[in-house]
Amino acid sequence: MNAGNPLAVSFSGTRNRIAAIAVLTALTLGGNLLGLLLGAPEGLLPLPALPLSIPIILASYWYPRRGLLFSVCLAAAYAVTVLLLSPPDPLLPLTILPRAVFLILIGGVVALLSSRLRESEQQMNQIIEFLPDATFAIDREGRVIAWNRAIEEMTGVKEEAILNRGDHEYAIPFCGERRPLLADRVLQSQGEQPQVLVSENTIPRLRDGKGAHLRSAATALIDANGNVAGAIESIRDVSDQVMMEAALQNASRQLNTLSGILRTDLSNRLAVLYGHLSVGVMKFDDPEILSFIGDLNNAANGIRRQIEISREFRDIGTSPPAWVPVQETVRQAAAGLTFGTVSLEVWTERLEAFADPHLGTVFSHLFENSLAPATGATRIVVTYHLRPEGCAIIVEDDGTGIPDAEKEGLFVQKAEGYGHGLFLAHEILAITGITIRETGTPGEGAKFELLVPSGGYRIV
Amino acid sequence: MVRELRSAEFPLADEVWRDYHGMTGDPGRDRIFAVFLAGRIVSLARCRRHPDGSMEVDGVFTPEACRGRGYARMAVSALVVACHNDDLYMYAVESLAGFYAEFRFISIPERDLPPAIRERYTWAAGNMEGAEVRPMRRRAGL
Repeated sequence: MNAGNPLAVSFSGTRNRIAAIAVLTALTLGGNLLGLLLGAPEGLLPLPALPLSIPIILASYWYPRRGLLFSVCLAAAYAVTVLLLSPPDPLLPLTILPRAVFLILIGGVVALLSSRLRESEQQMNQIIEFLPDATFAIDREGRVIAWNRAIEEMTGVKEEAILNRGDHEYAIPFCGERRPLLADRVLQSQGEQPQVLVSENTIPRLRDGKGAHLRSAATALIDANGNVAGAIESIRDVSDQVMMEAALQNASRQLNTLSGILRTDLSNRLAVLYGHLSVGVMKFDDPEILSFIGDLNNAANGIRRQIEISREFRDIGTSPPAWVPVQETVRQAAAGLTFGTVSLEVWTERLEAFADPHLGTVFSHLFENSLAPATGATRIVVTYHLRPEGCAIIVEDDGTGIPDAEKEGLFVQKAEGYGHGLFLAHEILAITGITIRETGTPGEGAKFELLVPSGGYRIV
Repeated sequence: MVRELRSAEFPLADEVWRDYHGMTGDPGRDRIFAVFLAGRIVSLARCRRHPDGSMEVDGVFTPEACRGRGYARMAVSALVVACHNDDLYMYAVESLAGFYAEFRFISIPERDLPPAIRERYTWAAGNMEGAEVRPMRRRAGL
C-alpha cells in the first residue's frame, strides 16, 4: 500500500522515475564538471558533493536493490572528475574521499530503509491478499490501493485493472455506477473517533445476476501521526446464510402452526375428558370407581403438563441469546411457583450468563423437581462456583436426591414423554454451550450443576 | 435484610470499613455480604479469592453502635452459604474462634493455610498466639 506517499503519486511510472534520476544526475554531475572546467572561484574548490545526494536518495528509495551500486558509481564519478580537474593539491584526496564515502553512505542507508519499508508493505499486502473476505482499501483521495484475490473472484475485476483508480470506480462492479461505498463514509467522518461501520445490502448484479446478500464492514486506515490516511472495506457474501435462516424460519413457523393446532385440539379434548371425570365423581360413589377416576384424572393432568411443556418448547431459540442476570432470572422463575414451607436462598447477585432468554424456564423445571412432595426437600440453594473450565451455577436441595440409576437418563428425551422437563432444560442451555448434570448424593439431596463456558459468564 | 453487594455498592462497604483497618473491597476478587437495616449497612463480611484460587474470609465487621444484635452472624451465615462450594480459610481473632466454629470453621495449623493467605501474617513469624489470631478452615459444603 502506498497511502499518502507523494513520491509514489507523482512518479508512479518506471520510465518517469528513471528519467527524473537521469536528469538530476546529469544536472548535478554536469554542473560539477562545468564548474571545474570553467574554473570555479578558489573559495568553492573542491566543489561540494551535496547536490549529488539528491539523485542518490531518489534512486535508492525507488530502486533499493540497486541504490548502493548507483551511489558508489556516482561517488566514484564525482571523486575522479574532481581529482583530475581540480588544481593539484596534496590534501585534495583527503577532502574528496570522505565526501565520496558520505555519498555512498547516504545511498546505503536510504536503500536499506526503503527495502525495509517495502518488506513491510509486502507483508501487509499479503495479509490483505489472502484474507478470505473480499477486501479493498482506498487512500484519502479515494484511489484504490489494495484489491485482494477474494474481491477479484467476487467482482471479476482484476487488481491490475482497478489499482490507483479513483472517482468511485470500485463501486461499479457492485452498483453498476460510480457512487460512495461504506469506505467513503469512513473518509467522510474524518475528525470523529475512528469507528467500524457495518452494513448489509442485497446487490442484484452479483452471482451472475442472481443477486447476493453482502455484509460489509469498513474502518479508517490511520497513519503514524494519527491522521486518516484512507479506509479499508471488507465484504462477505452471506447469501447462503440468509437463505438458510429464512428457510429455517419458514420451517419453524410451519411446525409451530402444526403443533399449535395439535395443542388446541388436545386441550379441547382434554377439557371434555375433565368434564366427564367431574360428572363421574358426582355420579358414582363406589370407592373403587372413584379411585379409578382419580387415576384417570392424574393421567389427564400429565397430558396437560406435557401440552404446557410443548408450548414452552415452541419458543426456544426464537429470540437471540443475551446476557442474562442470573439472580433476577431465578427470582422471576421462583415467583411463578408455590414454595410453601420450602425456603429458597439465591446467591448469584453479580452473576450474568450468556444464555437463551428462556433460562428462567430451566430454573422453573429444576425447582419443580425439588418442590415435588415426594422429595421431602425443605431448602433450595442457588449458588455459583468459579472453575478453570467456566462457572457452575449450582441448584441444590436437601431432599431425597436422585438415585444413581436415574441420573444418566435425566436429560434424555424419553419415549413416554419429556420426563420432568429436564430434557427441555438441557436443550435451552445447549443453545449457548451450557451443560447440565446432576451431581447430588442420593439420600442427601439433588444437586444440578449448570456449567457456563469461560466466555459465557461475567461477574458484574 | 442480608444480601451480596453489587460492584457499584463496594464504596458503601469501604465507608463502613474505614473504622476497620481502612479495609477496601475489590470487585475483581471480592464478594461482600452486607446486612442492611433501614437502608444502612450494619454488618459486613468479605470473601476474597486469591490468585491461587484459595478463598479467605475476612472483614467481618459491625460498627460499634450496632453490635450485640446478631448482625455479624447474619453476614457470616450468608457468606458461608454463598461461598460453600469452596474450602474457606481465615485468620480468626482468637476471641471469636468459638463464633466461627458455629459455622463449621475448625482450627488448623498455620502451615495448612494456602500460601497466598499465609503471607498476610508472615510478620508474626509463626507466633499466632502472640498475634492473637487463629488459622481456621471450613470444608466446602452446605
